[in-house]
Amino acid sequence: MPSQIEEVLEQLDTRAPKLTLEVGGHELAVTSLDKPLWPGAGRRKAITKRDLLRYFARVSPWILPHLSARPVFATRFPGGVDSKSFYQKHWDGPPPFVRTVTIYSSHGEGDGEYIICENLPTLLWLAQMSALELHAWFSRVEREPDARGLGRRFHGSEAALDRSVLNYPDFVVFDLDPYEYSGKEARGAEPELHRRAFNRTRTLALRIREMLERLGLATWIKTSGRTGLHLYLPIVRDIDFDGAREVAQTIAQHALRERPREVTLEWSVERRRGKIFFDYNQNSRGKSLAAPYSPRRHQGGTVATPVSWDELEEIYPTDFTILTVPDRLEAAGDPWKGILEAKQDLGGVLSAGSTP
Amino acid sequence: MARAIWSGSISFGMVSIPVKLFGATEGRDISFNQLHSTCGTRLKQVRWCPTDEVEVPWSETARGYEYTKGEYVVLTDEDFESLPLPSKHTIDLSAFVNEAEIDPIFYEKSYYLAPDERAEKPYALLLRALEKKGLTALATITMRKKEQLCALRPRDGVIMLETLYYPDEVRMEHGVKLDDSKVSDRELDMAFTLIELLKKPFDPSEYHDSYRAALGQLIEAKLEGRKVVKSPPTRDNNVIDLADALRKSVEAAKKNGKPKPAARTRARAPARRTRKVG
Repeated sequence: MPSQIEEVLEQLDTRAPKLTLEVGGHELAVTSLDKPLWPGAGRRKAITKRDLLRYFARVSPWILPHLSARPVFATRFPGGVDSKSFYQKHWDGPPPFVRTVTIYSSHGEGDGEYIICENLPTLLWLAQMSALELHAWFSRVEREPDARGLGRRFHGSEAALDRSVLNYPDFVVFDLDPYEYSGKEARGAEPELHRRAFNRTRTLALRIREMLERLGLATWIKTSGRTGLHLYLPIVRDIDFDGAREVAQTIAQHALRERPREVTLEWSVERRRGKIFFDYNQNSRGKSLAAPYSPRRHQGGTVATPVSWDELEEIYPTDFTILTVPDRLEAAGDPWKGILEAKQDLGGVLSAGSTP
Repeated sequence: MARAIWSGSISFGMVSIPVKLFGATEGRDISFNQLHSTCGTRLKQVRWCPTDEVEVPWSETARGYEYTKGEYVVLTDEDFESLPLPSKHTIDLSAFVNEAEIDPIFYEKSYYLAPDERAEKPYALLLRALEKKGLTALATITMRKKEQLCALRPRDGVIMLETLYYPDEVRMEHGVKLDDSKVSDRELDMAFTLIELLKKPFDPSEYHDSYRAALGQLIEAKLEGRKVVKSPPTRDNNVIDLADALRKSVEAAKKNGKPKPAARTRARAPARRTRKVG
């Protein structure tokens, strides 16, 4: 374990409710360390802000590469996951160790400052603010290695942003979200996690993987941290977000044709009932799914966790929590290691393999 | 919940628990009606008497038991009413056994028992008692004019009623003889290995009636006036279709993806809640 992480863990290993962390030559005040962010239930202990800081410190070698060079937004839960939350995109005056980027916002807000989380102090600063759900863009501010011809001016106008590298995602993503209810939900609430729905979602994910594999395309998978699964198809950046969305939509429609009783593309939540919602619209600039290894707001402190296809059959989303994921990573490493190096040239692969 | 198919009460010693019965399973086979193929009219069944050569109304029908070829004894409604059916509206508990003692061959059909209004308390008491003791109650119930043996067992917070076959309804002799077949330890080990490979928890959701699904699709396609393809495309064809469709999206995306003039009129993705919970 890198010594910087060990130092942070040592400093947190105290009963003091607040302290000033020294990390990477910076000072960061952390407070209310014993505040429960995820309440306990029965024999399960509450997960505190100190636990969250420890988590981020321990998983930092694996989460930071997935966040690197990507604008990030976060959902903050200052009073814990059962209280009010708010969604933060723009940050005024972040500490000096935080990398920032100015991006034009197409919603009429003009230019705004976004943060990029690519070092341990930034990660811990987010934890201090109870920013526990991290959403990183699917595009990056850097051109290396596959987008050398694209612009790096992100502010001023929408046209500039459209031409920039931030308009070209590293992945086509497929968000599979089961709308099969366990029967225990409150009226209007999202479906809860249950085995039957998860098994069906898993079967659909495996089918999509098989379909794309036959076309010569490799996909990667992670749990959403709640009921669903996220598939990522890493691509060479010559297709913009609109194009990535069309690709995802084509695959979604194909899945719907093949499994009309299981898949739905319906906008109306009511009409998704009993089916798996195949959401291709996350392929949009400024939208995002929970980042790999981002904690989620759900009971028990579940984490959106990359898994290998081989282990998918054996896992269940609640296996992966703030308390279990660090050990898993330290023991076996990141199943998504190398995802960015595995970029695939969609145009090339598809025209080469016209007859499988 | 569906409509109750029976209502009455569980009688258990001095206690009587008003309950309703709901089917817990349903066959999903698609059924057909017979039509006249030349005009499409639904055919009518006619009760026809070949002796008098007339159509017979319901009022002139009688129930006959064929005791020997061509010879019948006729039973009237009064005859049926005179039969002893003690448990007409009650489920009489007679014994408690361990569930494992009942061979699955005896199970006929599953029902849910639900308490009537104000009967929740005694119902819960019986449920908890069965759960705590791990027992199943044997009882009789009269359904569709037939007294039926049944088992009441707790499952997931509800009392299930399973109708049981009577012993003389179960064929015990099976005619399978394996005296001459010797099995070696090696063969047995091989079988164990194969079994280990395929061993997994029982998950009914993995099993689908694919014939019924295909039939349902065929019917939907007919309804929409689409041309019905005789043999559904194989998976490989599916993948080739997808490859073509994808190639088109990618080509279009690359054309559109080139830097373009400032004003864009293309529609953005429809607005959706931006905060994802799932």
